Amino acid sequence: MSSTNEVIFNEVSSLFEKVSFEKISDRKYAVSIEKRQVVSFLETLKRKGFSHMSLITCIDWIEEKEFEIVYTLFNWNTGTTLMVKTRTSREKPVVPTIMEIWPTAKFYERDIHEFFGVKFEGNPDLKPLILESWEEIPPMRKDFDPEKYSKEHFPDRAYEVDFLVKGSENDE
Amino acid sequence: MTKQQSAWEKVANMLRARSLWMLYYCTGCGAIELPPTMTSRFDMERFGISPMATPRQADILLITGYLSTKTLRRVIYTYEQMQAPKYIVGFGSCTLNGGIYYDSYATINKLDLYIPVDLYLAGCMPRPEAIVSGFKKLMEKIDRGEADGWKRYQENYEWYKKNQLSALGEVYIHDEFHE
Ligand code: SF4
Repeated sequence: MSSTNEVIFNEVSSLFEKVSFEKISDRKYAVSIEKRQVVSFLETLKRKGFSHMSLITCIDWIEEKEFEIVYTLFNWNTGTTLMVKTRTSREKPVVPTIMEIWPTAKFYERDIHEFFGVKFEGNPDLKPLILESWEEIPPMRKDFDPEKYSKEHFPDRAYEVDFLVKGSENDE
Repeated sequence: MTKQQSAWEKVANMLRARSLWMLYYCTGCGAIELPPTMTSRFDMERFGISPMATPRQADILLITGYLSTKTLRRVIYTYEQMQAPKYIVGFGSCTLNGGIYYDSYATINKLDLYIPVDLYLAGCMPRPEAIVSGFKKLMEKIDRGEADGWKRYQENYEWYKKNQLSALGEVYIHDEFHE
């Protein structure tokens, strides 16, 4: 199975409504898909040659009140990277899991659940992966203020300033 | 400022300063400066300092870089396992004042609030020359009996514990290695 990207993209476009593959560079493409179709869409792409799931990540579009989940797929026959993007609302972020397609997705989903608070429906194990005893809102959300948190929890060193260059950033 | 030392302590400190085993806790980027410091170019061993694999036999705990709250819990475990006399060297500006991670939600900003630091090596990251010169300073301090972080930790244990708890919530580690 070594069809070219164009063939794969045409086949996939004929199966799903309103998907358009956008070319970023020779070996890099992107596509957006609705949340309810994402599982069958990724399944189809996997069968057509994008068999390697490299990464799942998340973007917080705070002004649009949406989270964007980005699945990065790789095709070993054509050496092409494909970004599949889907969006979910910020108020109630729920996305179906893709663990049935790629079991390794479990850990990426745990990671995104921990750092953005996106729930993956069907993933049985969403307990924290990296942080320990975290009680605030998920730290990668744009409305979380890391500096304020740091100031409250981790005291700074106080310096005695005895000389300042005029116009330096500490000159008040 | 030299402290009053008994004759035994003077001899002990002189000997201690000349044979140091170092546990390097490579938390941050600074760890990359240690291989050249240990190997033939800068050759740390000519000062009697050599690497040690376990905390129970080490004298120096070298913390090379930023500490997340998660790592700090392990560092406190490690430090409390070490036998006195024990010395901590904070390495790089991240241990001093947070460095470029001063506003991170995950890393502490000031190491000496949580464990007693005997010597800081400033720089991001300090070069092997700075490390070697820092170790010379540490040896002089041990020789003069001024590197007494482990005594301060015993005397002010409540204060250190209070700071640890305020930053970490609890020091106890829950994971598959410590349950
Ligand atoms: S002081 Fe610099 S080199 Fe060292 S851990 Fe921090 S950022 Fe990295």
